[in-house]
Amino acid sequence: MTAKVNTRGNRAGNSRTSQPARQRLSAWLVLHRDCAVDALHRLWQQPASSAMTLTVIAIALLLPALLYVTGKNLSQFDSSLAQANQVTAYLRAEVNDSAVDDLRQRVEAHERVDTVRYISPEQAAADFAEWSGLGDVVESLAQNPLPASLVVQLADTRYETAVQVQDLLRDEPAVDFVQMDQLWLQRLDSFLSLTRRAVVALIVVLSLAVLFITGNTIRTSIASREAEIRVMNLIGATRAFIARPFLYTGLWYGLLGGALAWLLLGLLMLLLGGPGAELLTYYGNQYQVQGMGAAASITLLGGSAALGWLGARLSVSRHFTRF
Amino acid sequence: MIRFDDVSKRYPGGHEALKQVSFELEKGEMAFLTGRSGAGKSTLLKLIMLTEDLNQGQILVSGRNINRLPQRQVPYYRRRIGVVFQDHQLLFDRSVFDNVMLPLQIEGYDRHEAARRVRAALDKVGLLDKEKLNPITLSGGEQQRVGIARAVVNRPQILLADEPTGNLDPELAAEIMVLFEQFNQVGVCMLIASHDLSLITRLKHRMLTLEQGRLIKDEHQPSRRGTSS
Repeated sequence: MTAKVNTRGNRAGNSRTSQPARQRLSAWLVLHRDCAVDALHRLWQQPASSAMTLTVIAIALLLPALLYVTGKNLSQFDSSLAQANQVTAYLRAEVNDSAVDDLRQRVEAHERVDTVRYISPEQAAADFAEWSGLGDVVESLAQNPLPASLVVQLADTRYETAVQVQDLLRDEPAVDFVQMDQLWLQRLDSFLSLTRRAVVALIVVLSLAVLFITGNTIRTSIASREAEIRVMNLIGATRAFIARPFLYTGLWYGLLGGALAWLLLGLLMLLLGGPGAELLTYYGNQYQVQGMGAAASITLLGGSAALGWLGARLSVSRHFTRF
Repeated sequence: MIRFDDVSKRYPGGHEALKQVSFELEKGEMAFLTGRSGAGKSTLLKLIMLTEDLNQGQILVSGRNINRLPQRQVPYYRRRIGVVFQDHQLLFDRSVFDNVMLPLQIEGYDRHEAARRVRAALDKVGLLDKEKLNPITLSGGEQQRVGIARAVVNRPQILLADEPTGNLDPELAAEIMVLFEQFNQVGVCMLIASHDLSLITRLKHRMLTLEQGRLIKDEHQPSRRGTSS
């Protein structure tokens, strides 16, 4: 008595054993292809219920995708403002020119500083008048209210550098106060990291939703094909063979749901893109409304397909009772 | 080929379906399993199919103790046994051809080779001209023959049948039996459960009789003719 069963059967003249490996591989591929096509065909045959499931999956996927795109568009400001690597030191009114010159030279000598530009109160007033269009108002004032300043151009864009230079300037007696662009950059940064976390949290929660939606849909599909499963089991189909159509169904649900989410997002971008682009022009030409991008799109589709498959797999292992 | 050693089966709830049944079927032998409904015929076949577990004893098929077979090997074991069901268990969502194709699909046959075998099996049962029809459009006798074609398409060494003629009139039932005898002549070991004594005693094959789960008679050449209970 042999303990191990020859899985290919031990019958004389069984052509299965004599089939060359290539032929068997091609039979296997054909089997998978037929299975995938058949699963898609079955979805198509029940358009109403399939559409409903797909819509629910798509909406679940749309939420994190939308938040991701929002974050992505906001982070444009992040990266472009990071280049505004300036620290401005406003000087006290009573400081004389030689002290300013001295300070300027000392700051310029700092290894992290690129250039230092002096802006006199007159220059500041002229700039303000030109920039704001309130030249008359400035002229009507008896005294120029604007202080002199040093605009320090930093050698790099690191936040630590800006803080270091800021601290250096703040300790100077000639300096009234220091303004740093990086400050609100920091706020944006923390806002963005908040969005990123929200995206991750949403992805986790809504992935579970997609998992349960496909799992439940596959459950009903298993119930409706019980006769087939029973017969297949009786005539020697392996669990993997019986499960395969359901796994493909899950895969299609995930993939098509992901594709639908992607399309819906595109549609939303089309609707919101116009006003969005208009809004962005106020902030300069370098900003553009951005979509998902190729990598995120592929992640969306691949991830949703994987979720569908996994949902089906869970359902199969739960509802294929003793075989 | 099939050997029962002191096999007992009790269902949950206490009903004893089989009590200490022992017999052996040789390779290429054909036997009928008879007895009233509830005598344990179906249970005995289910034990061979491994759709039920026994409580005591052992069953050897081709010398192998099937009750020690790991679960994942059960499908491969089942492929070597053809089964014909009383209600034929056909799938009405596909054609006759696809129904018969199913066992070959499961084994991963090349499509052309499979199609050739399906046609050979359908030819054998005389339904080659109906391959494209849905089995639901066929008569009861034809449906049973599709079931038989499916059971033999991958050339099993063992063929089990559970009341294969239960729903057929005597003439069709006799035809089915003739078909079974033809398979037996090419070396297939057959065990056919049937309570139709008038039919099976005429055929002069070995007859195992069950009564309330016990094997009460094992006649190699039944002499009675036309007796019915």
